[in-house]
Parts: sequence; C-alpha cells; structure tokens
Amino acid sequence: MKVSFFETVRYASPHALPPEWPVPSGSYDPDAGAAAYRAMLERLQYVEELGFDWVSVSEHHYSPRILTPSPILSAAFIAAHLKRMTLALLGPIVPHSNPVRVAEELAMLDTMAQGRLVVGLLRGTTNEALTYDLNPAEARERTDEGMELILRAWTEPQPFGWQGRHFQYRTVSIWPRPLQQPHPPTFALGTSRESCEFAARHRLGCGVSYGPFEVMARATRYYREQCARHGWQPTADQILYRANMLVAETDEEAHALLRQQSSSAPFVMRAAVREAMTTLDARNVAGEARAPVTGALPTTFIGSPDTVVEQVRRCREVVGAGVLDLSLHPPGSNELAPLMRALELFGTKVLPRIREI
Amino acid sequence: MRDDAPAVVERWIEADGLRFRYVETGRGAPLIHLCGEGGLRLTPAHELLSRHFHVVVFDAPDPGQTPELAATVTRAIGALSLGPFNLMGTSSSAGTAVGVALRESAGVTALVLEAPTTIRPEARDAELERRLAELTTPTLVLLGTEDTVVPSAAGRIYKEKLPAGHLVFVYGAGHAISIDRPEAFAEVVVDFLERREAFVISRATTLINP
Repeated sequence: MKVSFFETVRYASPHALPPEWPVPSGSYDPDAGAAAYRAMLERLQYVEELGFDWVSVSEHHYSPRILTPSPILSAAFIAAHLKRMTLALLGPIVPHSNPVRVAEELAMLDTMAQGRLVVGLLRGTTNEALTYDLNPAEARERTDEGMELILRAWTEPQPFGWQGRHFQYRTVSIWPRPLQQPHPPTFALGTSRESCEFAARHRLGCGVSYGPFEVMARATRYYREQCARHGWQPTADQILYRANMLVAETDEEAHALLRQQSSSAPFVMRAAVREAMTTLDARNVAGEARAPVTGALPTTFIGSPDTVVEQVRRCREVVGAGVLDLSLHPPGSNELAPLMRALELFGTKVLPRIREI
Repeated sequence: MRDDAPAVVERWIEADGLRFRYVETGRGAPLIHLCGEGGLRLTPAHELLSRHFHVVVFDAPDPGQTPELAATVTRAIGALSLGPFNLMGTSSSAGTAVGVALRESAGVTALVLEAPTTIRPEARDAELERRLAELTTPTLVLLGTEDTVVPSAAGRIYKEKLPAGHLVFVYGAGHAISIDRPEAFAEVVVDFLERREAFVISRATTLINP
C-alpha cells in the first residue's frame, strides 16, 4: 500500500469567522495565513521523515479551511522544500481551467521536481463552479474535453489545432513536455460512470473518495470492467482512495474525539443558493444516482492503530485501492498540535504495518 | 437544410471520356469538394460552407476508372473554367485532391484534407510523402479525435511533411467529421479558406458587454 498525506494548509483564525459562505475575505488575517504556510512546511518535513510516499494537494476556492486555490502553486512550493516525497496534485479542477495552461504548468512542475509528480484531474464539486462563474450544467462536458486536450498537449509531437465544443485553439505545441514519458502517472478522480470510462479509455488511474468501501467498490469494479473492455488491467497503484482517518491510542478515545465533530459542513451557503446548487449537482456512482454531500465528510478509518490497520486491509480487499490518500486532522479542533500527535501515532504505529497490505 | 438555403443545381462534366456528376450551391470564391466513399450527398456542412463559397461537390471519383485519376479530375475541374479555386478532399478522395493540387499548384488557392486515409502510421507511402514535401499550397488536415479508420498519429506525418500544413483535431468527431460536427467543421474550414495560414490568429471576441 502506498500512503499519501493530504495537506490542506489548515488556517487557524485568531477570531471567530462568519459561518456563511462566502466568508468575507476581509476577515482573513494575513499573519495567520503566513503562519499556516510556515506550519505546512514544518509538518511536511516531518511527514517526509515518517516515510509517507506522497503529499497531496487539492484545489478549493474562497475557503478559510483549505488555503489552496492554486494547487499547482502549492505543489511547486512544496516540491522545492522536500527531497523525496512525490507531489500528488489531486485536482486542478479541469472545467475552470485553460487546459493548455494546465498541461504546460504540470509539465513544468514534473520537470522542475525531477519527475516527482502524480496528477489527478477532476470535475470538482458544484460549489466550486460559483467562484469562476462556470455553468455547473456544462462542467462534465468541459471536464472530459479539457482532460483529453491536456493528455494530447502532453503527448502530441507536432503542433496541432483543437476544434472542440468548449475549447478552441489553432496552435498547441507545449514546452517543456513532462519529464515522465509519455506523461506523469495520472488519475481521473471521481466515481461517475463518465469519469471511470474516461480513465479506462485513456489508461489512467481511478481515484475515489470518502464514501463507504462497498459504495466506492461499485465504482472501482466498474472502472476495472471498462479497462478490460479496452484491453488492459490497472495495477493496484492505479486505484486511489481518499478518506479521513482518526487514529488514537484506543478505540474509545478515537470515538470520543469523533463525537466532538459537528455534523454540518462548515461555512454553508445560504439555503436558497444551496438548494438550487443541490438540484444541479448531478452525481453518480458507476451510473447509479448518488446523493449530494450536504453534511461534514465522513471519517472512514477510526480507532486504535490495530483497528485502523484492519480497516485498511478491508479497504484493499473491497475497494482494491493500492494508494491511500489520508487526511489526519482530528475533528473539532483547528489547533495543529493534535494533528502532529495524530501524525506521530500514524507514522510509528500504523504506517509500518500497512506497507505490505 | 434551412428554408433560405441556396439553390442546389445538379450537373455533369466530362474529361478523358469519363463523366463526373457534381452539384453546385452557394456564391463566392469556388470551393471544389471531392466526396469520399459515401458518394455525393449534400450535408448540413455543405449548407454552412455555401454561405461563404460557391461550393461544387463532385461525386467520389472511382480510382478504378483511370490510371491517372488526379489528372482526369484536374481536367474535369479545368473544364468548369472557374479560375483559381479552393479544393477539399474527404477520406479516400484526399489523395486525389493532393494529386490535383500538385498538378495545379498555381490554380489551387488552399487545400483541405478531411480525415485523409492516404497515409496511415501502419501503411506509410514513401512516394506520396516525398511529394507532400513539394506541395506549397496552404493545407489544412482535419482529423476527428474518435476516428477509428485514421488514427491521430497519421496527422503528425502530414504536419511533418507539408511545408504549409496545419493539423487540427476535431474533438468528438469520428471519421465523418463534417457529419458528426458540422458547425465545428465548417467554422475551421471557412476560416482557413478565407485567411489561409493567418487563420492561426484568433478573431473571436471575448467581449461580454461593451
């Protein structure tokens, strides 16, 4: 099992924040922001010492919880400060982006980081569409087309034009190309039929997140079936599962910590917008409708090191995942000390035992 | 077809003892289209092109009828006395269109090859590739990203060999690009024929409200 640390650049506000999204950017504290990025580097140096394989970053906008609107920028900065770990850029949100720019920047990053890059491409959740005025109804189509264009920009040796539905270019011929040839290991992130089929058709990995093992297994099973239809078999390293993990000395302690977590998502939108967005948030697992996520994200792995190791074993068996991308933030606290304790416990008591799973 | 679509006229022309059926539609600079295997049929793409060009659509010439098909087609086009013309060849007729353009380099203003089957990565044609290098006519090669007859890798061979060649992938189109995505097809063809190599300079506006 490969293990990835999901770095969210947790921001600790020196004062209470308005609970509603969008949180006014005037309530941001620049010094607290600088402290969050400093803490990120300290933490990641420790994460690297503990022996994690990857550090992952994601793209989230207007969020006081996750200060990474530009994951490529985060990854480049982190890469410059770490020696060994692979940067897993799990999301540029493709429909928001200029795909040629994404192809260029990822190729640049792969080259600057000497090939320590893994890429995940995704549609993004519907709320993200509000930040760049993107019509959520077109997001899926833009994602598929953008992903195909990124792959082609990485691999096509001659200048070409692109006569798309949502993107049009007369000349594409990127420099540099990726160091890893033909391109960095790439995942299509998502459980949808469309995402699994895209991954299978283009021989990419499949990344799923947060849902129960049995539900995520429906998506990875469908992905493997589609790969077989296209005449290939993915390796375990091509199935990634992202989840929250709450590890403590004992099961009781872990569950007591979980009870401190609020059941609602932080910084919710006003009801009128949220309801309109929910109707647009068409999701599916391998073609079956999937309810939109409204509350806090679930914690999949929870308990003592022994319990968590068994849960990871089940994840491998049921989902088929060969890569775990873990958020280890203990809930109910924005403080960093509990995260560092969780990291130490995971790094010493769990990580060495799940390598061979 | 739209109600106000230009009138379509069917005619015949003879060259080297062969009769070619063709139809004409639209007004403007001439655009000769040599149809592919499907034979002569007018599509929505022709209608879009006819708003900008005098479109002359030739039935797919049968290569079995004459050893020098490109020469015969060149003479048939010459017999129409159109003056300089744009030329487009689809699928297997793309090779004939290249042959016409090589013969008539002064007469062919610009050349479009839609999903050309002539060269494929697994079936290279050294002689034709050598002749492509001599073709100075501005040439647009179009390939559909879903084409199962001509793989995308064929496009780079044309791009490498043609001195004034441009390769454009039409996203979501199969081998019949103009049928699968008529608007996308006509937009790039019209732009290329109107501006030739300068078509790489965008003239689309991004202005939302003045």
